[in-house]
Amino acid sequence: MRNIKPIISSLLRSKSGPVLLLTQIVLSVAIVANASFIISERLALIDRPSGIAEAQVLSFRVYNFDPAMDLRKQNQQDQLILRDLPGVIAATSTNMVPLSGSGWGDRYVDGPDPETAKSLPGFSFYMGNEHMLNTFGVKLVEGRNFYPEEIKMGPAAKSQTALITKSIAEAHWGDESPLGKVVYQQDIAITIVGVIERLQGAWVDSSNFEYSVIQAVDFGGAMSSTTYLVRAKPQDIAQLKLDIPKALHLENPNRVIDEFYTVAEHRGHSYSNHELMAALLSVMIVLLLLITSLGLTGMVMFNIQRRTKQIGTRRALGARKADIVWYFLTENYVICAAGAVIGVVAASQLGQQLMNHYSLPQLAWQYPAVTVLGLFVVTTLAVILPARRAADIPPSLATRSV
Amino acid sequence: MLSMKNISKVYQSELVETHALREFNLQVSEGEFVVVTGPSGSGKTTFLNVAGLLEGFSQGEYLLDGVDVSSVSDNESARIRNEKIGFIFQGFNLIPDLNLAENIEVPLRYRGFDSKERKRRVEQALEQVGLASRLKHLPPQLSGGQQQRVAIARALAGEPRFLLADEPTGNLDSLMARQVMELLENINQAGTTIIMVTHDPELARRAQRNVQIVDGQVCDFTSYQKSRSTTSTTAEPA
Ligand SMILES: Nc1ncnc2c1ncn2[C@@H]1O[C@H](COP(=O)(O)OP(=O)(O)O)[C@@H](O)[C@H]1O
Ligand SMILES: [Mg+2]
Repeated sequence: MRNIKPIISSLLRSKSGPVLLLTQIVLSVAIVANASFIISERLALIDRPSGIAEAQVLSFRVYNFDPAMDLRKQNQQDQLILRDLPGVIAATSTNMVPLSGSGWGDRYVDGPDPETAKSLPGFSFYMGNEHMLNTFGVKLVEGRNFYPEEIKMGPAAKSQTALITKSIAEAHWGDESPLGKVVYQQDIAITIVGVIERLQGAWVDSSNFEYSVIQAVDFGGAMSSTTYLVRAKPQDIAQLKLDIPKALHLENPNRVIDEFYTVAEHRGHSYSNHELMAALLSVMIVLLLLITSLGLTGMVMFNIQRRTKQIGTRRALGARKADIVWYFLTENYVICAAGAVIGVVAASQLGQQLMNHYSLPQLAWQYPAVTVLGLFVVTTLAVILPARRAADIPPSLATRSV
Repeated sequence: MLSMKNISKVYQSELVETHALREFNLQVSEGEFVVVTGPSGSGKTTFLNVAGLLEGFSQGEYLLDGVDVSSVSDNESARIRNEKIGFIFQGFNLIPDLNLAENIEVPLRYRGFDSKERKRRVEQALEQVGLASRLKHLPPQLSGGQQQRVAIARALAGEPRFLLADEPTGNLDSLMARQVMELLENINQAGTTIIMVTHDPELARRAQRNVQIVDGQVCDFTSYQKSRSTTSTTAEPA
């Protein structure tokens, strides 16, 4: 590093070359830092556990066309048939499917008087019977599951019981146990009987995604089409997609049974935008770094071309090959360092803009830091090969070239 | 102090083999000022390059300062060039985007001198060539003669045992050429051994010893000068 001063003064005296490269590095730092931050944010979203045995839970819909059918009775019958199928661990009718992008939402208040009652966080509103917990494979951490006799036929019953996620309990009551608390859904009083460790809702982008409630209501039969959830081992799912329509048609052929998706598949659809975004940004980062390293290599090669005689002269005056390699590395480290300083400022500016316009969290300092580190690695890789070629310029060039 | 015995240098290209030096013999003693002349393509630059460890050679024995340099490593020959040899080139070879002081510092930095020592040597060297006031100028702002004097200062700053100059006046008009020659003569008076290649018969005539190279070999056409010269030449006949 003892030769850094003349390298800097030489750089300051040269014209557009370093400025272009500097700009490129500034942009790379600013964009790569923010892009990688966004990618990691998206990946963290995708990574959130749903609480559900996603690969084991199969959802499908039954469209009933028989006008003479007693829908509620048929629903009860169909659930029994499903639970009897080989490979089925549990089955329930439901009003919504987790992570599917469509569902129900509501909000409780903690008292009967709408004037004074405080609101609990909004939640995804599942309606299911005593089989729903086991069908999802979610974990009950406090209280109990529904008793069969608690299950109401339809959402409008006057008094009901509910299971809520721990996230809701903590948001409203903190450390206090929610068991036995009575909350209100318009004029319906609902007693909390159990706490679920984790159960996500239908909309992956919702801020209430982690807040879910299961109310003891068998929603099946409320409409002519019914959604069912069946839990089975993943290796049995394919067979069940054939067995389920067969068994239900045997019971009553006047219906269409369709839309088989596992919750894992719903997850894939729901996060596909995020995955696409992460993939696009990754490609962009790679391209940017590639372009920057090409720019660096290009500039070094240009400088070597321009300075062949100078390099030969330096060798004649006593530079070792390593001195020549170091010359080019140092020169580009200087540019890289200057670019990094400006780039970090630009990165946080850009981060601020993204924060304001796209409601992103504040850019974490690790991202610009790692980006700068990465750029030094890229610089080294891009410069070292041409610099080693430069070191092979023979000292005799000093006398041979005019 | 410089002794070449039966040095051969062959350039091998795809089609032709050029024997740039053949059975080349030359002894140069401490303090001599040797002028090398000869037709174009005769091997003068090749001789200087081999002498200055800018190039290796194919055969023979070369003792520099008593040290056999025929098989020194690349790093070692860089060190020898840096410490023992000062080069002066026809095209000056100053680095255009470094100022004069920085140019003179280039070999001193490779030598590892600290900034105080570098400063002292730069000032002294520029003093010696009469350009003390131009430290911060860039080479293109100077005339050719001035640039060559800076290059000489750069060669001198390392306090070398040898100066090797390949047509140092080739790009200068005759007045500037004479000034540079006088400067080199003064440096030689002060004790530095100089070997200079030139085309200029007038400069050649001023030299203490004249070695002529023809077709890669030393030609002893200098008996006339030899007889007038106070020191004896050791150039061997072809
Ligand atoms: N790098 C090289 N490759 C091949 N031939 C060379 C090379 N350098 C010099 N030569 C040849 O060697 C001979 C001597 O060249 P040189 O020493 O430069 O002559 P001078 O300096 O006396 O004009 C010439 O024939 C020249 O063409
Ligand atoms: Mg020549």
